Amino acid sequence: MNLPDSIQSLINALERMPGIGPKSASRLAFYLLRAPDDLSLSLALALTELKTKTAFCQECFNITDAGRDRCDVCESRKRDGAVVCIVEESLDVLALERTGAFNGKYHVLQGVLNPIEGIGPDDLKIKQLVARVAKGEIKEVILATNPSMEGDATALYLQGQLKPYGVHVTRLARGLPMGGDLEYADQNTLQRALSGRQDM
Amino acid sequence: MYLKHLSLTNFRTFTRLDLKIPQREIVLVGKNAQGKTSVLEAIYFLAAFTSFQTNTDRQMVNFYEAKKNTLGISRLVAEYKRGKSDHRIEVRLILEPMGVNGQRLRKEILLDGVKKQAGDVIGHFNAVIFVPQMSAIMDGSPDERRRYINLAISQSNPAYARALSDYQQALTQRNALLKALSENGGDRNQLSVWDEAIARLGAQIILWRIEAIQQIEKLASRVHHDLTHESETLRLAYEPAYDPLPKPSGQLGLRLDTPIDRTGLDVKEIQKGFSEKLIELRSEEIARGVTTIGPHRDELRFLANGVDLGEYGSRGQIKTTLLSLKLAEVEWLKERTGEWPVILLDEVMAELDLERRADLLKYVGKSEQVLFTTTDLNLFPREFSDSSEVWDVHDGTISLKNK
Ligand SMILES: Nc1ncnc2c1ncn2[C@@H]1O[C@H](COP(=O)(O)OP(=O)(O)OP(=O)(O)O)[C@@H](O)[C@H]1O
Ligand SMILES: [Mg+2]
Ligand SMILES: [Zn+2]
Repeated sequence: MNLPDSIQSLINALERMPGIGPKSASRLAFYLLRAPDDLSLSLALALTELKTKTAFCQECFNITDAGRDRCDVCESRKRDGAVVCIVEESLDVLALERTGAFNGKYHVLQGVLNPIEGIGPDDLKIKQLVARVAKGEIKEVILATNPSMEGDATALYLQGQLKPYGVHVTRLARGLPMGGDLEYADQNTLQRALSGRQDM
Repeated sequence: MYLKHLSLTNFRTFTRLDLKIPQREIVLVGKNAQGKTSVLEAIYFLAAFTSFQTNTDRQMVNFYEAKKNTLGISRLVAEYKRGKSDHRIEVRLILEPMGVNGQRLRKEILLDGVKKQAGDVIGHFNAVIFVPQMSAIMDGSPDERRRYINLAISQSNPAYARALSDYQQALTQRNALLKALSENGGDRNQLSVWDEAIARLGAQIILWRIEAIQQIEKLASRVHHDLTHESETLRLAYEPAYDPLPKPSGQLGLRLDTPIDRTGLDVKEIQKGFSEKLIELRSEEIARGVTTIGPHRDELRFLANGVDLGEYGSRGQIKTTLLSLKLAEVEWLKERTGEWPVILLDEVMAELDLERRADLLKYVGKSEQVLFTTTDLNLFPREFSDSSEVWDVHDGTISLKNK
């Protein structure tokens, strides 16, 4: 049996999402079919507005409201423009903001180097970062890409790119999760925590 | 360490198996195709999380279970004692339906009830397995030898398993970039970040391989001397594709069995040399679109009295060498971890003459637990089979044999 086109195309679209396989895609599609109208309608609206009502900040490339050139953080006078934290995605900004411990500004790369997926330096906001640093106001760059193979490689690449500008480059320390018992930490985390130890 | 209990569900021919296992020698007796080797395979899988004989884990899921349209699940559980404490490892092989007719295998590993990554569990429960078809380690492709040495070292040093999988990932990325550069051009300096990862991880792997092979060689040559009644000297020659100690020029005609001493190398030095070599090879590697040196291309040779067994070994010579290697691995794991691995010997008696059978029993007698399989109990000395636990394996069921 062939599914009606409208369902099949929804399934196909859902399947392209990260973390969603064919099975979950069909399950979601049929769930929406059965669910009250307002669910699919509000979802449809949210999806349309997602692109029309958001934009990327032209300075740090974090998401912001459509029609704005710069985001709240970049516009704020209370934030320290001399320190910039480099992250992979906007969600990472959110996580760091929640800590309330960082008062500098951000730069969102919108990904990491990943040759397998065909993502090179030109596909990321690297040139824009270098341009920001070249202006001379930034004194310290904190590399906060994820502690993965690709995140590490990207950090190393950025370090090379920023070297000519004499800016102070640091890498986020990788340690044990808070409340994590040493005994129960997985060995990878432990190894990283050991190699990333700091003077006291 | 030793196994106290093994339970299998939908693993190969066993739809359900529950076995209490004593801490001593065990012999599994049965006709062909009854499931003897499968029991050893299951136990080894709980140590290595990969089979010794297949690269497609899905083949281990029971046929009938795998044919179902819904989820197919194969479950292996080992309860074992290590030192003074009891632990439990569980592996689930889950066949999930995918796409129109496809299936995907997912592996779940639990240590003491907590879900973990294989790299975090390897080394907790250790086993050494001998299966006659493993002679491919000697006379098969270099892949077989790398696979063997990787599995052996991972059990004694879990950090090795992690370095290896990171290396593999960096290698895939680097090869993808080399290919893109060779096809479309672009900034070659992008390579340097992957060079760094390859050289750093590769150097660590090379150093650990040097140490392990040297230690195993020492033990193996002693066992081999015994097993061959002093007629053969066994050497393990490690030949890294990036060699931190390349043969000096002019000595290219160096005999293969001339030992090269690679001890005393420093990991930072290896990394530095490796990095430099990668830069030297850069143009060539871009042209070829692939990484040409590194641990993924290493070779290991087995030499008996200076003769390369991979090329010139007789069947008997290869069998004996394999046994020497396996017995050495047992002792090596004991030295490195302080614990005896569980020893799994498939059809080993049939491969040996009377004298060597006695030698073998003497060797493994020191350990904590050994499981043998055989089609013929008479291959074992009478006193031995009388004092060990003997099980009948028949069509996917196992029962205590009336002696
Ligand atoms: N995935 C599977 N599902 C069901 N049965 C299987 C599966 N894989 C293998 N078998 C069957 O299990 C049986 C036992 O295999 P095994 O190799 O363990 O036997 P064995 O007792 O060691 O035999 P031999 O003495 O010939 O070595 C074989 O008949 C084989 O066809
Ligand atoms: Mg068999
Ligand atoms: Zn901004």
